[in-house]
Amino acid sequence: MTMVALAYGFIWLAVFGYVFTVGRRLGRLNAELEELRRRLERTKT
Amino acid sequence: MTGSFWRYTLLIAGKDLRIEGKSREVLYTMGFSAALVVLVFSFALSNATDPAQGPITAAGVLWAATLFTGTVALARVLDRERENEAIRALLLSPAPRAAIYAGKLLAVSLLMLAVEGVLVVLVGLLFSAEVFAHPGWLALVLLLGTLGFAATGVVFSAALLRSRNREALLGALLFPVVIPVLLAASRATACMFDPLAPDLEPVAFWVRFLLATDVIYILLGLWVFEPVVSGE
Amino acid sequence: MNLPPALSLPTMPTAPAPTSTRFLAACGGAFLLLFLACLAVAEAPLESVMGLVQKIFYFHVPCAWLLMLSTLVCAGGSIAYLFRGSERGDRIALSAAELGVLFGMCVLVSGPLWAKAAWGVYWQWEARLTSSLLLWLMLVAYVLARRYGGTSARRLAAALALFAAVDIPLVYFSVRFFRSIHPQTTVVSTLGPGMRGAFWLSLLSFTGLWFVLMSLRLAVENAQARIVELEVLLDQAEEKKS
Repeated sequence: MTMVALAYGFIWLAVFGYVFTVGRRLGRLNAELEELRRRLERTKT
Repeated sequence: MTGSFWRYTLLIAGKDLRIEGKSREVLYTMGFSAALVVLVFSFALSNATDPAQGPITAAGVLWAATLFTGTVALARVLDRERENEAIRALLLSPAPRAAIYAGKLLAVSLLMLAVEGVLVVLVGLLFSAEVFAHPGWLALVLLLGTLGFAATGVVFSAALLRSRNREALLGALLFPVVIPVLLAASRATACMFDPLAPDLEPVAFWVRFLLATDVIYILLGLWVFEPVVSGE
Repeated sequence: MNLPPALSLPTMPTAPAPTSTRFLAACGGAFLLLFLACLAVAEAPLESVMGLVQKIFYFHVPCAWLLMLSTLVCAGGSIAYLFRGSERGDRIALSAAELGVLFGMCVLVSGPLWAKAAWGVYWQWEARLTSSLLLWLMLVAYVLARRYGGTSARRLAAALALFAAVDIPLVYFSVRFFRSIHPQTTVVSTLGPGMRGAFWLSLLSFTGLWFVLMSLRLAVENAQARIVELEVLLDQAEEKKS
């Protein structure tokens, strides 16, 4: 029982750990993109 | 493969071996570090008193030492091309990229085989292994193992030519790929060194495995060498 | 975005603009798919010899399949990058390699946990375990090369990916050609009806999960490419202004 729980638990943790790490990085990149777009708009005015 | 391919291959290998023949830098440094590796293992494993472990230990040490010093050979033979932008001259020459790869492969393999000759004797002495029981098979396994190692090594060394982390990365990238070669070669060698082995059937099996691996690795190396190096 | 003609660069590759809803979708998708796989496994009958521990198989095998799939996709992307200069191929290769590391970790953790119960040891240096470990190590090396390898890293890593792909048939066929304690590949076709359905459902769910994670990871690569594009445009615009 412990083995099964450990195995399944690890897989869930690994997958969601990865999703959250990548998601956070995506969020930072999106913010940077927005900033760049704003600056580009300002250069046109 | 055309005649000019082989001509360029031999030219490039000959160039590296001639440079080596004059300075003997790589041969001496490789030979010395190989001998030291064997000695270190000999000290570290000196408590292994079980006689049955002898052939396996001896074979393992032989191939581990070969692996480490092969890395030195790769770094040195390709490092030469970094000096004075020699690699650019080589790439601008009419030599086909595949011939550059084959030439380097030949040069590295021959250097490694020269050192391995010394290593075999050293291992035989320090581990009391019957290294010359089957000289023909041993020569074949040494050749195939060396080729398999060098086939991948030349590609990765060439790619790392301009990299800052060259030394650290070469090991990290190369070792996982060559472990099957190391495994097969040391299993075959262990069987040959074992006086109690009933027959050489395992040797034949591992030689077939090595042959297949070498063919695949060399073909792969010939295929990817050009795009990998063209970025330089 | 309406840019003056002088500032537009028709030759630059245009990466699709990512959305933050992608992250939420990925979370939701991942949860749903993993939950589906768990349901399938819970419904599956208990195996007579090993009992509950055998159910690790329903996660372990799909993870192994995804390790091999990731390697294959990484190699494919690497070929496109090396021989056709495809930036998209390179982005796909990197994303696939990371997923390979992730699912490889899952295989290498779930396997020994099952092995302890089945064989009494966590690890054995037999053909399939060794070749799987090597494959995982090559993918780790790929990711390391990309992060710390410097400018020549992409080509080097691409070459590594191709050598890693050679390991795939070795991993799969190793149990057939070498005397091995690991279960044979034929085990799947011998599963009972309840187990077979659970297995295929789990495999399908995990494959779906792989696509969800790939989509999320690629979004990061595409966002980075877009940032580079915009920085270039911004530099040009500011230069023109001054």
